[in-house]
Amino acid sequence: MKRVLYFLCFLISVMVTNNVSSQSLFKKLKDKVVNKAVDNAVEKKTGVAPAGESGNGNSGSTGKPTNKGGGGLSNTTPPDVKAQMAEAESAHAAKNYSDARYSLQQALMGVEIQLGRQILKSLPASVDALNVDTAQDVVMSTQWGWNNLSIQRVWKNKADKQLTMTVGNAGIYAGLAAMYFANAGTIEANNAKQNFKQVKVKGNKAVIQYEDSKGYTLIVSLGQSSMIVWECINFANEQEVMNTANTFDIDGIKKMLGEQ
Amino acid sequence: MKVFITFIAVIAFTSTCVAQDFTKAMATAKTSYSAGKLEEAHFALQQAMQEVDLIIGKEVLKLLPPKMDVMEINAKGDNVASNVGFVGATIHRVYEKAGRKADVSIISNSPLVAMMNTMLNTPLLGGMMHDNKTKIVKVQGYKARLEKQPGSTNDKNDYELQIPLGSALFTFKVDDCTDTQILALAETMPLQKIAKLIE
Repeated sequence: MKRVLYFLCFLISVMVTNNVSSQSLFKKLKDKVVNKAVDNAVEKKTGVAPAGESGNGNSGSTGKPTNKGGGGLSNTTPPDVKAQMAEAESAHAAKNYSDARYSLQQALMGVEIQLGRQILKSLPASVDALNVDTAQDVVMSTQWGWNNLSIQRVWKNKADKQLTMTVGNAGIYAGLAAMYFANAGTIEANNAKQNFKQVKVKGNKAVIQYEDSKGYTLIVSLGQSSMIVWECINFANEQEVMNTANTFDIDGIKKMLGEQ
Repeated sequence: MKVFITFIAVIAFTSTCVAQDFTKAMATAKTSYSAGKLEEAHFALQQAMQEVDLIIGKEVLKLLPPKMDVMEINAKGDNVASNVGFVGATIHRVYEKAGRKADVSIISNSPLVAMMNTMLNTPLLGGMMHDNKTKIVKVQGYKARLEKQPGSTNDKNDYELQIPLGSALFTFKVDDCTDTQILALAETMPLQKIAKLIE
């Protein structure tokens, strides 16, 4: 009964979100029709086209302008690890423990970002005739969330073939993933067309999944708290995915993350 | 609801931990970082943070009142332990006397708790979990969830108060009392000072 309740909670959350989205879409469509009807009536009476119609028409139905671009946000420099460690020690000595904790978090974030950049540097510039797109390189560290450290790199070619590799040091998530791999009940077998199965990449347990809309997804569990995910779009077959994954220095990445 | 919250608390379960030496951990972190051993520096910093969480936990225990009504501190029940994954700590105190008991638990700096707090504060989900045994109240300006539970006898009730404080969860349970009594006891705890320390 309780499981039903939890499932209902989740389902209703999703439905409300979708409902809100569809309601706002419906409202926009309705407003567009109503405004158009009003504009036509005004034009008939006065012979003058309503303002904004002959222009770019960039205002939304409520008159709010749409954004056409901006400078984005500038990258902040990662925390200065040495300075944050010194601040943590000072705050601790002054018995200001909240500040000590905050400084330690900043120091941890700084170390993780440096570690992430180190890992990115170790990844190849070209894989399976795909070239790296450094504009999509990501190193993200969040000391508050589920994922402490997440590193991402994309390789692609002009023919819509793309490989996205994500390396994560995520304690709780990786533990669950390890349980997932070990659960034989989640593995499909004896089907005419298997979409999910356990494999190995350089001796490391992995799972591979295929969906027509997504392509291949290969997840390798690394030790206690890390994983690598390869998302392969427009790869010819499973063997190509496995060959690509096997070109990476997984032991090297494990060592950098402190995994066994 | 209680099972769900208990489940979340268990997932962020504590491990009894001997306090790490903060100074030693920081020295290791600085040496490792200077030598370019980032992973070792990372681990040493996590140990230092664990130590700070334990110290903060002990400071929070000092802020709690020495008595709850007639109930006194059960020193054996005082406990501060780190959560799994070096994130936050769980602080625990028990007040007891003449068969009556009050229990204070604070899970601090837990991302799981932060997730649960977001859910509790969401009007839709919070509203769905409302029944005739629970109600939303305010304690010292903080929104809280008050739940009535069966007491030691058929004519008595236990009450449990849960107060989300950012990424911390403050749980206060009193046996065999009324809702007015538990709220009055909750008012004796300096929640703002505790929140400032653990946030």
